[in-house]
Amino acid sequence: MSADGASAPALELHDVTVAYGRRPVLWNVDLAVTAPGLFGIIGPNGAGKSTLLKATLGLVPLAGGRVRLFGKPLAAVRDRIGYVPQRETVDWDFPVSVMDVVLMGTYARLGWFRRPGAAEREAARAALERVGLADLAGRQIGRLSGGQQQRVFLARALAQAADLYFLDEPMAGVDVRSQERIFRVLDDLRREGRLVIVVHHDLRTAADWFDGVALVDMRLVAAGPTASVLTPENLRRTYAGHLDVLDELGRAVERGGRTS
Amino acid sequence: MNGLVGLPYNTLVVAAAVAAVGFAAGVVGSFGVLRRRALVGDAASHATLAGVVSAFLLTGRRDLPTLLAGAFVAALVGLGVLVAIRRFTRTRDDAATAIVLGVSFGLGIALLSGLSARGVAGAGGLEQFLVGHTAALTAGDAATLAGVSLAAVLVVWLALKEATLVAFDPAFAAASGWPVTLLDYALVALVAVMVVVGLPAAGAVLVTALVVIPPVAARQWTERVGPMLLLAGVIGLVAAVGGVVASAAVPRLPTGPTIVLAAAALFAVSFFFAPQRGWIARRRMIRDVARRIAAGTLQPDEDDADGG
Repeated sequence: MSADGASAPALELHDVTVAYGRRPVLWNVDLAVTAPGLFGIIGPNGAGKSTLLKATLGLVPLAGGRVRLFGKPLAAVRDRIGYVPQRETVDWDFPVSVMDVVLMGTYARLGWFRRPGAAEREAARAALERVGLADLAGRQIGRLSGGQQQRVFLARALAQAADLYFLDEPMAGVDVRSQERIFRVLDDLRREGRLVIVVHHDLRTAADWFDGVALVDMRLVAAGPTASVLTPENLRRTYAGHLDVLDELGRAVERGGRTS
Repeated sequence: MNGLVGLPYNTLVVAAAVAAVGFAAGVVGSFGVLRRRALVGDAASHATLAGVVSAFLLTGRRDLPTLLAGAFVAALVGLGVLVAIRRFTRTRDDAATAIVLGVSFGLGIALLSGLSARGVAGAGGLEQFLVGHTAALTAGDAATLAGVSLAAVLVVWLALKEATLVAFDPAFAAASGWPVTLLDYALVALVAVMVVVGLPAAGAVLVTALVVIPPVAARQWTERVGPMLLLAGVIGLVAAVGGVVASAAVPRLPTGPTIVLAAAALFAVSFFFAPQRGWIARRRMIRDVARRIAAGTLQPDEDDADGG
């Protein structure tokens, strides 16, 4: 981490409101998270978790409020941001290899018209090594399992060499072994002093991995250290009206009680 | 067929230019297809006819650069209307495309019939832009078409990295600071350029096939963007030259349909016989897997065993 990053929170949302057309999906979110950390954004389906992340990255417009990253506007610190979009957003039949996709993580640093060279290839190979896919570098991306595809996306983000990472549902449709591997890499990033923000849907694994969480259901319900946020009362407020997750909720509370 | 040797000099020059047009249409069209904008070229191409006739009406000239400039403006106007319909109404993409395509083409036909009904001097020959007619091209026209085509290929080659990134993952591209909307407009404009340049060869109705069929055929043979572009260019080139030669050999045969049919033949070959994605290879693979399952000899792939 650089010195200016240490003084201001790596992620700061002030009164962020987002609307799709006339329908508001996020109301008055205030959130500050400091590096290092592995931080989960958790809530029911349609709670606006992904929207919160996209608004932070400038991919959807803010209806109100502002975003500061390392104390600065997004445009000033873009080169310090890494991003893993949801896996289903791209066409996996696209004619590119695993290596091609990971190299895309170096494109922003290269700038207009410059092609990746030996240094970029080396960085991409190291990133693939880290997610355990080095021997699949030449394979077309459609010929990978869901978990492997997700790890390719993670490797591309690693090739961005960022200080602040955003991951959108990286565990969705991913087998347990790939999940484990991904969480381990994210944990290493935290150890290196970075902040990793993860939109996550699974309450059971949340308590195991995240050292901080935000509970979101169109508004920010609670945010802070995992043990103090994942309380029965907070979860009830977040998931009120979502009967389908009550069972999962019970198990998570049980686990939360045990670990805190 | 007598072969190229028997063709006059002008036909050879035109064939060379159309070869360049076919190659560039395949290359540029590949990104149209990869970005899922295949129908955009269709809307643009149908709008060009109104542009050609309007350019003649406004200037009284009928030299190729003037008419193609009119076609390009009309293509951009058509695409602008398309963007506006999508943005300001709740009409879906396919419906908006159909509206622009139908209305602009209807306008073009109405203008064209109006001209011929009044017997406007010099209006004859404009209908050649409907189905393509390369025999009328001069060597100077051919040089212009080839020059613009090569420039379009150069632009794609220069921005290969940016175009691939935006076509594959626009959200990631935007998050890492690339101007995705600008690049999208640039791509669409480039497709419009190729549609216009392909107009004399293939005509307003069929030129879009030249930017869609070769890329789709090329995709069958390769799993990488670079080879796909090159192959799409070669397929477009072969189809274009084949069309010109055939229509030079057969009197009154327009070039547009022959080019499209040649491209379709190459697509059919690609569809059936490509080594991995081809229909026959896929059938064989499915049968092979079924046989191995029945025999109990199918083993999980080692690569997939590490993380499912």
